[in-house]
Amino acid sequence: MADTIKLSVNGVEVEVPAGKNLIDAVAAVGIEIPHICYHPALGADGNCRMCLVEIEDGRPPLVAACKTKAAEGMKVRLDSEKIKKIQRDIMEFELINHPIDCPICDQAGECILQDYYVKYDHAPSRMRVPQVTKGKKMDFGGGVVHDQERCVLCARCVRFTRLITKTGELGIVNRTDQARVNIFPGRPLNNRYALNVVDLCPVGAMTSKDFRFRQRAWFLTKSKGICHGCSKGCNIYIDHNREKYKDDIIYRYRPRHNALVNGYFICDAGRMTYKLENEKRLRMPLAAGQQVDLESAVNALKRRIDQADKLVFLVSPSCSLEQMRAIQQLATHKAAVLSGYSEGYIQKGDGDDYLIQDDKSANRAAFALLGIDESKDTLTAALNEADLLISFGNDLSLSGMVCTALGKTELAFVGSYANNCADAASYLLPVASYSEDSGSIINIDGVLQRYGAAVVKNEPLPSMLQILAQLGGAFGDVQAVWSDLNSAVEAFNKVDLQNIPAEGLALTVSEVDNVTA
Amino acid sequence: MEVKILSARFDIADANKLEVAKEHGAYGTLEKLFAMEPAEVTEVVKASGLRGRGGAGFPTGLKWTFLPKGLDKPVYLAVNSDESEPATFKDRYILVRDPHMLIEGIIICCYAINSHDAYIYIRGEYISQAKILQAAIDEAYAAGYLGDKVAGHDFRVDVTVHRGAGAYICGEETALLESIEGKKGQPRSKPPFPAVEGLYGCPTIINNVQSIASLPFIIEKGADAYKAYGTEKSPGTHLFGISGLVKKPGMYELPLGLPLVEVIDKVAGGVRDGRKLKGIIPGGSSTPVLTADEAQSVTLDYESMAAHKTMFGSGGIVVLDDTVDIVKLAENLVHFYYHESCGQCTPCREGLGWMLKILGAIIAGKGKAKDIDLLLELCDNIEMKTVCVLSAACTMSLRSYLNKFRSEFEAYVANTASAQPVM
Repeated sequence: MADTIKLSVNGVEVEVPAGKNLIDAVAAVGIEIPHICYHPALGADGNCRMCLVEIEDGRPPLVAACKTKAAEGMKVRLDSEKIKKIQRDIMEFELINHPIDCPICDQAGECILQDYYVKYDHAPSRMRVPQVTKGKKMDFGGGVVHDQERCVLCARCVRFTRLITKTGELGIVNRTDQARVNIFPGRPLNNRYALNVVDLCPVGAMTSKDFRFRQRAWFLTKSKGICHGCSKGCNIYIDHNREKYKDDIIYRYRPRHNALVNGYFICDAGRMTYKLENEKRLRMPLAAGQQVDLESAVNALKRRIDQADKLVFLVSPSCSLEQMRAIQQLATHKAAVLSGYSEGYIQKGDGDDYLIQDDKSANRAAFALLGIDESKDTLTAALNEADLLISFGNDLSLSGMVCTALGKTELAFVGSYANNCADAASYLLPVASYSEDSGSIINIDGVLQRYGAAVVKNEPLPSMLQILAQLGGAFGDVQAVWSDLNSAVEAFNKVDLQNIPAEGLALTVSEVDNVTA
Repeated sequence: MEVKILSARFDIADANKLEVAKEHGAYGTLEKLFAMEPAEVTEVVKASGLRGRGGAGFPTGLKWTFLPKGLDKPVYLAVNSDESEPATFKDRYILVRDPHMLIEGIIICCYAINSHDAYIYIRGEYISQAKILQAAIDEAYAAGYLGDKVAGHDFRVDVTVHRGAGAYICGEETALLESIEGKKGQPRSKPPFPAVEGLYGCPTIINNVQSIASLPFIIEKGADAYKAYGTEKSPGTHLFGISGLVKKPGMYELPLGLPLVEVIDKVAGGVRDGRKLKGIIPGGSSTPVLTADEAQSVTLDYESMAAHKTMFGSGGIVVLDDTVDIVKLAENLVHFYYHESCGQCTPCREGLGWMLKILGAIIAGKGKAKDIDLLLELCDNIEMKTVCVLSAACTMSLRSYLNKFRSEFEAYVANTASAQPVM
């Protein structure tokens, strides 16, 4: 537990974490100081004036809570008539030139102006003069569409491009009530994190071209998830909805704060990987090249495995820890050569020094901990003799191998997404993807994270673990895998897999060392 | 009533040229200066009672003592020559007629605060003034008064003229610093104050042109000589710009403490055309207006102005006679502050435009009686809720017009106002 200090809020003593500004300090004990421009990742700017509070110690009568560090013994007043009136007044100023087009605004339902109007204002409009008009539906590039009239000039987006991406595409031009956020002519948003400005925008001024007008925010179920777009494992919200007579569909990913992994943001490429969960999914099982029902396909593959002379299992570096362990167990049981060869998942030089990683797989770190061989030589040597290759989600074509030209080796594919490798398979078992399944992954920094199933499809696909059990694997469920990992894999001897903290568990250096040694 | 302290060389032809200025005493204090300890200089300035001539009237010497001690960062001096307050036209005389007095003052100040780099932030509209100032600086460099060894002494002073781009807000000292740094001129939240964290994150003293230009006299003649002018709490002389509906508008140097109405009558020739005095804006457009009655007992010093619930301000006195339409004057004034709001913080950005539109509606005969009270409430709702005091400059003065001349607003609302031109 970090150091704490005691201060008084509205005459009640509270103990809060030390070293924070007043907004964050008292938020930690559940007290809200309303604020629009302040964001913990972007620092205090002090422009919205919504967080003005009184401090009863003889300093100037009003201070901006975002700019004021919480200090021992401070007496903060939030509930005085004076402060309540200021909050009403600021809301009035924010709203007089706001179009109040909530019925057609994507932000409606998750808008700070709506929420604060109900909480802190609730007064009828006194605006009897014409409103200021500004630019609408301006294409800022990077998939961002801007509405200057809805904007409250909090400058979060501007500060994001200056402080976080350091690309500085956005600025506020003009003065007074003509001030507006804009790009330089012909210089659109051009960074790989641009869509974060949509999440940062407290109102509907920044909208995503991809998402706008597709769903009302209040219909979306906002489930926690982890992005599988690269080996960073950024925490996300999976926003999905099952419309009447339709299936459960994911409409967007949004960043979810995790100080241990991604902070407050995600990259645009990762954000767009939600589409892979909806489109080009494997649905139809195959057995010996024929479409059959799932049960027949599983049984046919099981028979084919038992007939095989030389068997190779190929595992994807994006499989979950539990899936990998279960595949490993089945491989041992069936005397199959197990390979994790997946060179093609690594795009050298694509990563940056922020969130984006070269390695586009989600869980390669687990290969090392489980001792799964990744070398090309092992795989090619095994394939020379093999008569059956079962790929568990691994698209070998990414690594430059032609799946239709494996010679005498027959190909089976157990996975979620259509790809060249799945196309070439004569046995095909579609399984639930990560958004429909639970599991654990270890990111490039050695942080073990757990995720749960977010989406339940109308016709749910079986999990890969269920398929592995049906193919003759030993594990009935994840509990069984965890027990096995705890007892049989040295790296997990001391890891309490039942209780992985919400922010993930940083595996210690010694655990990683133990394996490589 | 007029005195010639700051304006001693104003009427000498070509006094902006170094040769002429030197002949009449320019840079004459430097030998004395470098024989003093920097702390002594500060003490003399403190003792003189010199108050900041930009409008706020903060004691200049005291401001210098706010610099943190024992810091290994450079100290900067920023000379505020943004002179943008409506009705204020005093610093331009110094820039044009006696720039060497300003440069000498800069050397004095830099020595006192141990700064080697001074910036003169001059408003963008002062084009010829900037040229004359730069020419004087160039001459001072050539003659060795600026540069690595000021007048042969082991003390460096470099002066940079930074031209603004036409923004009233850049006269606010932290917006001025932002502008020098090449950013959009927007005030910073305080604290930290510039004396602790100013230009480029370093301790910075910001003084008005007239404050700095007052230093050579104070150092040469001593604090007591300066205090011989003015009142106890408002010592010294001030360049007053008297404008509006008087017979002899102009810039006059006067000791502080003179009766306001007497100055209007005797110095500026009184209200023109024998009209009746209606009111006086005492120190630039930001200062609350005085009615003719109130003006009778006011003297031109900080304490009398405060006692009359207005401010001394920048010495820009505007005389209003009975032809002035106060409602249109108020609209004109609000339009200025509206136009000059940097747009950074919510109450000022949104509120001033709203007030301006309400005033426009009142003038167009579309106002309602409750609009006058709404304006008064908006003044309260905006004032002191903002990052800087630009909006307060607007609301304090607007409130004074609304309260002191309410019947004129009511007449518009009742649609009976006579059509009178705004001055």
